[in-house]
Amino acid sequence: MVSRTSWQVQKSVIYALFLREMNVRFSAGKMGYFWIIFEPLLQITIFVSVKVMLFGANSQFDFPVFITLGFIAFNLFRHTVDRSMTAFSANKGLYAYKQVKPIDALVSRVLAEILVSTIIVSIFIVVGFYFGFDMNAENLGLVILSFWWLIIFTFGIGLLVAVVGIFFDSFKKITKLILSPMMFISAIFYSMQDLPQSARELLWYNPLAHFIELIHANYFYTLDDGFVDYNYMVLWTMIPLFIALWLYRKLEKGIISK
Amino acid sequence: MIELRNVTKYFRTTKGKKYILKNSTFTIPSDHNVGILGRNGAGKSTLMRMLGKIEFPNKGEIVSDKSFSWPMGLGGGFQGNMTGRSNVKFVCRIYGKSSKEIEESIAFVKKFSELGDYFEMPIKTYSSGMKSRLTFGLSLAFDFDYLLIDETLSVGDARFRKKSKEALMKKIETCNVLLVSHDMGTLRTICDVGIVSHEAKLHYFDDINDAIKMYDDINI
Repeated sequence: MVSRTSWQVQKSVIYALFLREMNVRFSAGKMGYFWIIFEPLLQITIFVSVKVMLFGANSQFDFPVFITLGFIAFNLFRHTVDRSMTAFSANKGLYAYKQVKPIDALVSRVLAEILVSTIIVSIFIVVGFYFGFDMNAENLGLVILSFWWLIIFTFGIGLLVAVVGIFFDSFKKITKLILSPMMFISAIFYSMQDLPQSARELLWYNPLAHFIELIHANYFYTLDDGFVDYNYMVLWTMIPLFIALWLYRKLEKGIISK
Repeated sequence: MIELRNVTKYFRTTKGKKYILKNSTFTIPSDHNVGILGRNGAGKSTLMRMLGKIEFPNKGEIVSDKSFSWPMGLGGGFQGNMTGRSNVKFVCRIYGKSSKEIEESIAFVKKFSELGDYFEMPIKTYSSGMKSRLTFGLSLAFDFDYLLIDETLSVGDARFRKKSKEALMKKIETCNVLLVSHDMGTLRTICDVGIVSHEAKLHYFDDINDAIKMYDDINI
């Protein structure tokens, strides 16, 4: 056999797993294309309607754009963590090939999630232009950078959940329980500045709220990052990632032959 | 050459540790086709999986500069919800084949395995005979130094058994096999040396017939 470097091997494994992932998600009969657009569309419609009904249509920025951005970021996080939980077990049959490591399965799922988000963003941009929404970003570069930071943060959390979850089933259940109310406490359809002091202090502990607030702040001229704590975000990015990588290195063999 | 250095392998069970290998140091010489014998549960499949690097010793290491196929066992090595074709494609990709080579391999495996329409259906719809046809056909599309075959030759219908035996005889002109089997006829035709796995120890025999003799003895 031709010998390849370990990086070449891992690259081809991740690529093969990624193609398989996309294939499964968009195979006929599952309406994959429909759901990736319909889910955020439904979320946005509901929350925009609620907002308009409760507080009227007036806003200092284009509210549908605000909420769309929030949900794209939030869904990226939630779906990735959700899919990380099953990443190791869903590809179990493929560990019969020594090249395939569990972490490759996870990386390919994260990549698939990034691609799906990119598709959604592209579609919303086209739709937004068509309907004439104000989509000017204050600093597009920083928005993209914030998204990448969110992805790294998500990857750390996802890996941690995956590694611990495969040995402790109840850990997965707890994660699911935490994930469901996250939609309401992550500054998706409101900005931190609109909240009363007491609520703000409570939401401060939610790292995801910082990320979404940051993305909003970089996008809209009228918002700033006054309520974003960068140090707190760094801690939430580094600590789970390092613990997860350390645990993974220790437990990889156990995950393969489990 | 395959070297086992102080290899210990056990499984934790509710009844304590069950040893498959206890501090085994052992060398399997090159250029031999090796038959592996042992009772059920003696650790033959685990040994195969360790050689295929998907199971790992609790202590010690297995060293070899040879390339090994994936262990072809009854259990699978396939992802049930993928079709035969996409499984073949997947394996070709992870071994770094180009898209032209992948097409060739798919054509070859499809023809060899004789799965017909099942080739386009998910693996979970396959019988165990069909699975081993696929995995065996797939392994023939690669050039390994060693094929790890775990009893897959003894499943399938008589005609396919004959066909795969012929294909294997042709293949072992260029590579070697490590074969787990309970069929003494198969072991005698294909293998020249033998290993008996018994009571957490490996016993090596230069002549497969001696290995079969010991195996018969422990089964009395």
